[in-house]
Amino acid sequence: MGEMFSNLGLGFQVALTLKNIGLCFVGCLIGTLVGVLPGVGPVATIAILLPITLSLDPTGALIMLAGIYYGAQYGGSTTAILVNIPGEATAVVTAIDGHAMAKNGQAGLALGYAAVGSFIAGSIATLLIAALGEPMSNLGLLFGPAEYFSLMIMGLVLAVVLARGSLLKAVAMIAVGVLLSTVGTDIETGRERLTFDLEMLYDGLEFAVLAMGLFGFAEILKNLQNPEARDVVRAKIGRLLPNLREFLGNLPAMLRGAGLGSVLGILPGNGAILAPFASYALEKRLSKRPETFGRGASAGVAGPESANNAGAQTSFIPLLTLGLPPNAVMALMVGAMLIQGVIPGPQVIDRNPELFWGLIASMWVGNLMLLVINLPLIGLWVRLLRVPYRLLFPAIVLFCCIGIYSIGNAADMVYLTAIFGLVGYVLHKLDFEPAPLALGFVLGRLLEEKLRQALIISGGDPMVFLGTPLSASLLCIGLVALAVSMLPALRAGREEVFKD
Amino acid sequence: MLTRRSLVTAGAAYALAAPSLARAQARFPTKPITLIVSYAAGGGTDAVARIFAARLERVLDGRVLVENRPGAAANLGTEAVAAAAPDGHTLLIGNQGPMVVNPHLFRRLKADPATTLDPIALIADASLVVVVGPRLQVASLGDLVAAGKSRTLVYGSASNASASHLAALLLGQVAGFEARHVPYRGAGPALNDLVGGHIDFMVTTIPSVTGLIEGKRVAALAVTGTSRFAGLPDVPTAIEAGLKDYTASAWYGLLGPRGMPQAVRARLGQATRETLRDPAVIERLRDDGATPAELEGQAFAEFMAAERTRWGQIVRTANITLE
Repeated sequence: MGEMFSNLGLGFQVALTLKNIGLCFVGCLIGTLVGVLPGVGPVATIAILLPITLSLDPTGALIMLAGIYYGAQYGGSTTAILVNIPGEATAVVTAIDGHAMAKNGQAGLALGYAAVGSFIAGSIATLLIAALGEPMSNLGLLFGPAEYFSLMIMGLVLAVVLARGSLLKAVAMIAVGVLLSTVGTDIETGRERLTFDLEMLYDGLEFAVLAMGLFGFAEILKNLQNPEARDVVRAKIGRLLPNLREFLGNLPAMLRGAGLGSVLGILPGNGAILAPFASYALEKRLSKRPETFGRGASAGVAGPESANNAGAQTSFIPLLTLGLPPNAVMALMVGAMLIQGVIPGPQVIDRNPELFWGLIASMWVGNLMLLVINLPLIGLWVRLLRVPYRLLFPAIVLFCCIGIYSIGNAADMVYLTAIFGLVGYVLHKLDFEPAPLALGFVLGRLLEEKLRQALIISGGDPMVFLGTPLSASLLCIGLVALAVSMLPALRAGREEVFKD
Repeated sequence: MLTRRSLVTAGAAYALAAPSLARAQARFPTKPITLIVSYAAGGGTDAVARIFAARLERVLDGRVLVENRPGAAANLGTEAVAAAAPDGHTLLIGNQGPMVVNPHLFRRLKADPATTLDPIALIADASLVVVVGPRLQVASLGDLVAAGKSRTLVYGSASNASASHLAALLLGQVAGFEARHVPYRGAGPALNDLVGGHIDFMVTTIPSVTGLIEGKRVAALAVTGTSRFAGLPDVPTAIEAGLKDYTASAWYGLLGPRGMPQAVRARLGQATRETLRDPAVIERLRDDGATPAELEGQAFAEFMAAERTRWGQIVRTANITLE
């Protein structure tokens, strides 16, 4: 413990130099901006800024790039809450209750919970990385394809809880999402699936295209249809920040979210995506009033946002302790380290302690900065909602189109988003929800990939999924959760049968 | 159909165009050059392109913009450059995947690099490295081969038909063993499973594993180039380790649309040579496990043709075919 504090002390000495505070601030600011702009993600931003960091020292460069990454996670939730556009998979959950809160005139509160929750989760994750970074990195290694597959199965079962209305409809949407995730080249054989000979579908559907269409564009269509509803958002602004009692009420949700996010963030192959979904499912289960979820439950924003930010933070663990990047942003960080002559790997902590601990300490500084940058901005964002919708929506559409175009420099992507916008509108009319579809899409890709990898490794033996205690227990949890969520439906069904 | 008249017109047009071309060449580039990368920002090819472009800008005294055109197994980038005006202002960074492997994998390729592109120069050549994790504890390439002959090993790759997949495939073909291939999405997740002991071995790019080798999480058995890599002086080449016919590398070249004026090609070739002499560029490429190359024009075209034949045989032997 004492060693940890002396290490953190070293870290803060590095992170709190004027130059590094400045770089951290610049990174967080750029990150917040690219996060707020839909479609412009941290991956492209960091790749483009990489050459600029050459003139900085390694620690300063990484502090700035890390700031862009978690700043973007933060900024993404702003767009999700205000205009129902989740730019990244992790913001889908925030959009559900966050935007519902905005419609109830609580946009400021939702943004406040997101900011405070992120800060608390970020602080916890920072401490966790400092205390348990090395042992935790080994946890990620336990997850081979078989264990990962079982985890995804558990995640999909939990996703059913995301549904507001009919269970059957939610399951149907998850299935459609999984199906959409199979569009594109088969990972094993390279054969084209469901591409209709369209080159833009060859590499599969882009998440941002799907999300901006199903959520953002569909939302605009809905709003244009009933002008009354959208004026409600304008009329009521409400308080900007939660009071102490509300805050304490949501503190447990934030802490649980931070815990879930911290663990899931370590997993390879972007396991952090699962964190906000898992947190949402957990909060809805634990809530005394689960029926408020989907209609603006504050715990449905505070929990997942905390999980998201904690996951973003702990996804640095495999990078810093093993040199293994768990997602695309971390792969870029490997590039940034190499440019700077730092070889990512288990030896970084001994050879470059000031970089290792400086970066960790800077994360806490960065989280504080995000709070400082964003709390005053909340007022500004909320005022944005007062802009007449006839002026606001063309601007939203414009920014979305620019963002989508920038993903692949292709106009086809914009058309595809428009199509998904129409699909989203029709789904809304038929009372289907897009969130389970988005989760199915995100998890489906990993599900298939890990299933096939596990089966190739085992030579086709399905028992591989029960072969390790970890994999078997994850499957069991999934089964139990499924049984628990089916029970009420079964009982209701039986009662109906007995009525006759 | 060619008539005498069209030939005469063409000749006249050429005679008229020649002086203006010479003048244009003196001023080349006349506008920003677009350097197309067929992958999303952040990958290995993108890194090489950005290192190269930053220096080329100063050599040519004009803007060089890197544009990412990912998609269709990197074929979209090839198509975009093939369709561009052949004036030297739209160029491509091509690696062996789309340049020489894809023609064997795709039955209907919209733009065959061999007929629609003009090779300007090979930029860099990156050796790969054979690594094993805790699941297969062997100390030499010979032991790996012996293990591969006694039971079915499992190897991971960055993706289907990637350099890392094909190099491992070739290893098995040359050494005489068959192993099961597990494709991943990128080298990162595959390495995670190697370190975690879920797969046996990998042939991968050097920068992705240098830290893991130093930290003793994986063991490097051999590099796949013709000479040892400066950053891993103790690791033998596969040839030194006893596999006489085994070399494999990932390479990156500069190409343009077919039909660029000779003068523009020469200027670009010379600028590439100058760029690759810059010590900062050499060092940055070395960080990426690559060494600057020295093949230009016809020599690069011949190298590509030879690579195409070689990988074609490997692909056919392994019976990989896509659409």
